[in-house]
Amino acid sequence: MSNSNIEMNNARNSVYQLLSSLFAKELNRAMLEELNGDNAQAFWAQLATQPEFEHYVKTIVDTLANLNTDDDLLELAADYCGLFLVGNKHSASPYASLYIGDKEPTIFGPQHQQMLTFLQEKQLQLHSDFSEPADHIAVILAYAGHLSLSADETHQLSYLKMNLANWLSNFVAQVKKTDQGVFYTAVAKLTLAWVNSEIEWLS
Amino acid sequence: MRWLINLWRTLTKPAQYLTLGTVSITAFVMGVIFWGGFNTALEATNTEEFCISCHSMKSNPYQELQQTVHWSNHSGVRATCPDCHVPHSWSRKIARKIEASSDVWGWMFQTVNTEEKFENKRLEMATREWARFERDDSLACKGCHDYKSMKWDSMSKLAQKQMKRAAEKDQSCVDCHKGIAHTLPDMGTARAPELIAEVGTGPSKFDNDTTYFSSLTKPIYLNEKTDVEAGTLNIATKVKVLETKGSRIKIALSGWRKQIGAGRVIYMDFGINMLLAQLEKFAAEEDGVIVGFEEKEDDMTGLKWQRVEVQAWTDADYLITEQQPLWDYARDTFRSSCSVCHSQPEEAHFDANTWPGMFQGMIAFVNMDQDTQALVQKYLQQHSSTFVKEKH
Amino acid sequence: MNRRDFLKGLLSTSYVVLSGTSVLAPLNALAKAGAKDKDGWLTTGSHFGAFKIKRKNGVIDQVKPFDTDKYPTDMINGIRGLVYNPSRVRYPMVRLDFLLKGHKSDTSKRGDFRFVRVTWDKALGLFKDSLDQIQTNYGPSALHAGQTGWRATGQLHSSTSHMQRAVGMHGNYVKKIGDYSTGAGQTILPYVLGSTEVYAQGTSWPLILENSDTIILWANDPYKNLQVGWNAETHEAYGYLAQLKEKVKAGKIRVISIDPVATKTQNYLGCENIYTNPQTDVPLMLAIAHELYTNDLYDKDFVKGYSLGFDRFVPYLMGTDDGIEKTPKWAEKITGVSESVIKELAKTMIGGRTQILMGWCIQRQQHGEQPYWMAAVLATMLGQIGLPGGGISYGHHYSSIGVPSSGAAAPGGFPRNLDEGKKPLFDNDDFKGASKVIPVARWIDAILEPGKTIDANGSKVTYPDIKMMVFSGNNPWNHHQDRNRMKQAFQKLECVVTVDINWTATCRFSDIVLPACTTLERNDIDIYGSYANRGLLAMQKMVEPLFESLSDFEIFTRFAALLGREKEYTRGMTETDWLKKLYDDCKAANEGKFAMPEFEQFWRDGYVHFGEGKTWTRHADFRKDPEINPLGTPSGLIEIFSRKIDRYNYDDCKGHPTWMEKLERSHGGPGSDKFPIWMQSCHPDKRLHSQMCESQEFRETYTVKGREPVYLNPSDAKERGIKDGDIVRVFNDRGQLLAGAVVSNNFPRGVIRIEEGAWYGPVGEDGSVEGGAKVGAICSYGDPNTLTQDIGSSKLAQACSAYTCLVNYEKFQGKIPNVSSFNGPMEVTT
Repeated sequence: MSNSNIEMNNARNSVYQLLSSLFAKELNRAMLEELNGDNAQAFWAQLATQPEFEHYVKTIVDTLANLNTDDDLLELAADYCGLFLVGNKHSASPYASLYIGDKEPTIFGPQHQQMLTFLQEKQLQLHSDFSEPADHIAVILAYAGHLSLSADETHQLSYLKMNLANWLSNFVAQVKKTDQGVFYTAVAKLTLAWVNSEIEWLS
Repeated sequence: MRWLINLWRTLTKPAQYLTLGTVSITAFVMGVIFWGGFNTALEATNTEEFCISCHSMKSNPYQELQQTVHWSNHSGVRATCPDCHVPHSWSRKIARKIEASSDVWGWMFQTVNTEEKFENKRLEMATREWARFERDDSLACKGCHDYKSMKWDSMSKLAQKQMKRAAEKDQSCVDCHKGIAHTLPDMGTARAPELIAEVGTGPSKFDNDTTYFSSLTKPIYLNEKTDVEAGTLNIATKVKVLETKGSRIKIALSGWRKQIGAGRVIYMDFGINMLLAQLEKFAAEEDGVIVGFEEKEDDMTGLKWQRVEVQAWTDADYLITEQQPLWDYARDTFRSSCSVCHSQPEEAHFDANTWPGMFQGMIAFVNMDQDTQALVQKYLQQHSSTFVKEKH
Repeated sequence: MNRRDFLKGLLSTSYVVLSGTSVLAPLNALAKAGAKDKDGWLTTGSHFGAFKIKRKNGVIDQVKPFDTDKYPTDMINGIRGLVYNPSRVRYPMVRLDFLLKGHKSDTSKRGDFRFVRVTWDKALGLFKDSLDQIQTNYGPSALHAGQTGWRATGQLHSSTSHMQRAVGMHGNYVKKIGDYSTGAGQTILPYVLGSTEVYAQGTSWPLILENSDTIILWANDPYKNLQVGWNAETHEAYGYLAQLKEKVKAGKIRVISIDPVATKTQNYLGCENIYTNPQTDVPLMLAIAHELYTNDLYDKDFVKGYSLGFDRFVPYLMGTDDGIEKTPKWAEKITGVSESVIKELAKTMIGGRTQILMGWCIQRQQHGEQPYWMAAVLATMLGQIGLPGGGISYGHHYSSIGVPSSGAAAPGGFPRNLDEGKKPLFDNDDFKGASKVIPVARWIDAILEPGKTIDANGSKVTYPDIKMMVFSGNNPWNHHQDRNRMKQAFQKLECVVTVDINWTATCRFSDIVLPACTTLERNDIDIYGSYANRGLLAMQKMVEPLFESLSDFEIFTRFAALLGREKEYTRGMTETDWLKKLYDDCKAANEGKFAMPEFEQFWRDGYVHFGEGKTWTRHADFRKDPEINPLGTPSGLIEIFSRKIDRYNYDDCKGHPTWMEKLERSHGGPGSDKFPIWMQSCHPDKRLHSQMCESQEFRETYTVKGREPVYLNPSDAKERGIKDGDIVRVFNDRGQLLAGAVVSNNFPRGVIRIEEGAWYGPVGEDGSVEGGAKVGAICSYGDPNTLTQDIGSSKLAQACSAYTCLVNYEKFQGKIPNVSSFNGPMEVTT
């Protein structure tokens, strides 16, 4: 792989890791400062140069810029909680298993097992602070980032198609329907746009 | 130690032609003469090795010891057989040696040479040892355990209370602490061993005109000799001792009875269904057993009640001097057993006549032997709203 | 810009995701080894029975019934769905407004408001702060931590014991007396038969099968209810029911089910049914008594020798005191049972050995004390109490009562009380003149009307002013009556704390929600068979606690640590120490009677068997000698007339069993012109109360369009244009719900059934979840307690009266809302 390709893949990985971290847990003060920092702002700006990302990035950046108080952060945390930490049908549970298949199954199902197998193959496991099933969207995105650095394009493409693209749009629709704020809807839509662009590019 | 056994065998060969007394005395005299000059030899009978050369063979008291804290503990101090079973004062030690000659007799005639025989004799043997501990002022225990050097602070509240009470009276240790080095014998019906371990079996001698409380449900008799049971004395019942004859005592109790059937159930007070004693029909009808006094009608049921006094005999055991230890045990049992599924109700939530119904209705869920059940029920009645006026 | 340039541009920003630590980490070889599944099947138990589990990659894979369970319930199939439920409480959570404003929060939105995840430390800290405030500002009368329920099985982790020991270390609190299941029965029967009876071991089934000529199932459905038990259920009673079925078939035993509906038991046994109008059992019993009395058929010797007060009952029976003779003809009009059937029934009952088996439903109604008392009077007149296969039982449908007990001692549990001599942190016992203990079903009354004094079982109860509730392993938003009234009450509370495994409605109406792990995520121990004591069961941990859930032991040990009393709480023992202690204590109690191996061996085996038991006849000792073995009544005899109750002077519970009209009664009774249908909310067939309702795959085996079934009479349904599978709106002046129609001939006209335990899922008129917080919201799933009345059975028991409930129903016409019961809290869309 050329240096240029390595650089490109590092950039792709950064996007995956950023999206993963936004789904992984609520924003705290340190994350907010980082996301509002100069490097991140430049990163956001560069992302926004793509028309398909522009609108969502703007919403995200505007929201981040207006999170002034701890109470603002708590309100956002409540959005996060309502979407991702409770319930199923009427929230937007971030687990692949709840979207794949026609019946609503239980959590820690086959998709969880599938992701655990993937991780083990790459000598990876879930971080001990992350007490979630392995088919959580944050894990699927982080692993996609990992693959962008370590797997061939065919493999990456099939992974995205088999494990993310097949449920992502349903998930995003559910987030849009349930979100009380705008932030996580924008993050979800940005994720969908990003994954679509990836699939197009890898194809 | 084989030589000793062989010696005894030789020595006691003709014993079948002699009386037991002769054998004992001969054995003792021979022993003293034989060992008298040899201090080490006398000491030999005071070693564990000597004891277990006979006592460990079939019945395993030695193995039992090895399972207990007296064998293995943090401090590494070990109690051996003679520490507990050989008196610590010289005169008593010699007396015990004479007594011990019966052990030889027992060994010779294989009184306890099987597990079954040993178990059958266990209570008898243990009772003898317990009595000896008491007679010897628990010196065997106190050699290591001294009331004065106990760490009271590290005991639970309940333990403190009970130990202090025992210390004040210089009570025999085994009154409470039975079955700590060997398996607790089957106490007749193996009844309420935990309760008895807590409250004791009571004194071995009773003072006339003094009040005692039953620590088990006990059989009662019409005289000091008969084996025919005339009824039962309920647990935690107050009795007055009138006289002692052999292993029986004559007791008196006062209460009330309902005019139902033969009127042979004695309750604590007018209109209150707290059981003191139940008599067999023949006993209730026997002159002088139940003496009736005034009658009253209980407004709550329309039943007639009569005040009575009862005199009868019972075995001179399981009568203790205070009622409070019984209530302490009952309270503890009630609070722990009856809170596994739900909060236990306050004692004063129901009255004395409602408690039996509430308690009996739930009894299937708890593990209580008959005595403990009867005790807890009586405790609840005694501490019910009938007697304890408290807003709840 | 092409993608290559775009990506290069991204990289040039030098932005690296830092603080959002990756969810991935290098594989830890040790952790991997540790997570390896144990080979073979592990053992555990539950209310639904004992079962075995095989794991795959650290996840529960297969579940099968315990080897000795010959009649397992299919509820076992719901176990996986209970553990891996999307509605798991995953993290400690706090309602946002409560987090921001504490005890001054806006409680009107409780039930639909926003939660945030917090750490365990934060959540437990808030819990303790709330308790501090309550004890400081109001004292112990403002805290009710006494509402406890069915919990999960396991003697060590029993959730209510842990919660009450820990909260008790902090301070005193209001407690309950009685329970929802048998409130009226357990209060009246001690006056009559001298024991609560409802929880007492009953005559052994083999003796019933051998001796009974007739078995009366009075409002009793054992075949449905014996699926679950208080401890791990053995299901042994089903073997006896199978034998009974054979005997019925062979004509050796006549079984008569007296019930408005054809029960599951009736259909299983193929037995007879006598239909009665709902809530009219007392007139039917009185008429039977009248028939026995006037024809001189009753057992006069037994009545004379074993009971009191018959003479004071006869004037009522004969109508000399109230002018109404309780003849079969009189009863026919009320009960719908013909005079001839009543007379025939009386002759059948006295004509041979008759075992009466009472169910619990009919005491969960207004005047619920009366049918239980009157049934005891009937049994006394039959004169067979204390005979094998005769007399009366109030429990043969519960936890395998009637299966002979092994006689072994069961293990104790983790202590609920403070240890001897220990005092709470807030050692204040001043309840400000209010009662420390209130009848279980009257707590909502207390919240709404603090300071009010009511009669209860011969005393006065003054309602405390409750400001805070603590629940653990308990879902009162299932078992209490009248949801809309509950909502009003909950708006008056300052703080509600709930510990549970899944998001019950109680969780949703709370401020602090703490995640407990399920029984499969911890080690525990249980008796196998509550009454049978068939053996001792190891409850082996199958998987690590999911998400951040913790065992009850761990949760409240951490709470105790906040009080500086951790060591006192655990007595310095770990979970393993406790398990071993509970086992060893049990072993000691069984010493010499039942052989038990060392703990380690037991844990490897998963089970120790105590063997079979001996048969036994209830009240045989009393019959043998009533003087020596008196009943626990004031007189020691069966009290047909209770002077004690008579002295209370209650208008709704008199000195002898009495027929009293209900506030609501179908089939021509009060209120039936407006709401003509009687709703029966019996114990569910496919759940244990509300436990297991959330297990989706299993739930879908019985739901109708995702709703709880409502069982309808075909003619009634047809009149309303309702077909099987339609969505039905059931309503009255108290509330409304949606349920799925199941049209069945098992149900007579004027009767519907919706089983209790259906999870509450209120939604607004627009179908929104946020609208569900409002009083009057419709339940989208079908919780029958949306419709029931919250009144006491009488001044005696003050028990719940769910069965006195009239409704009407119609085909639902509007836009069908989603079911909102099985998810967490929802946000308000403003």
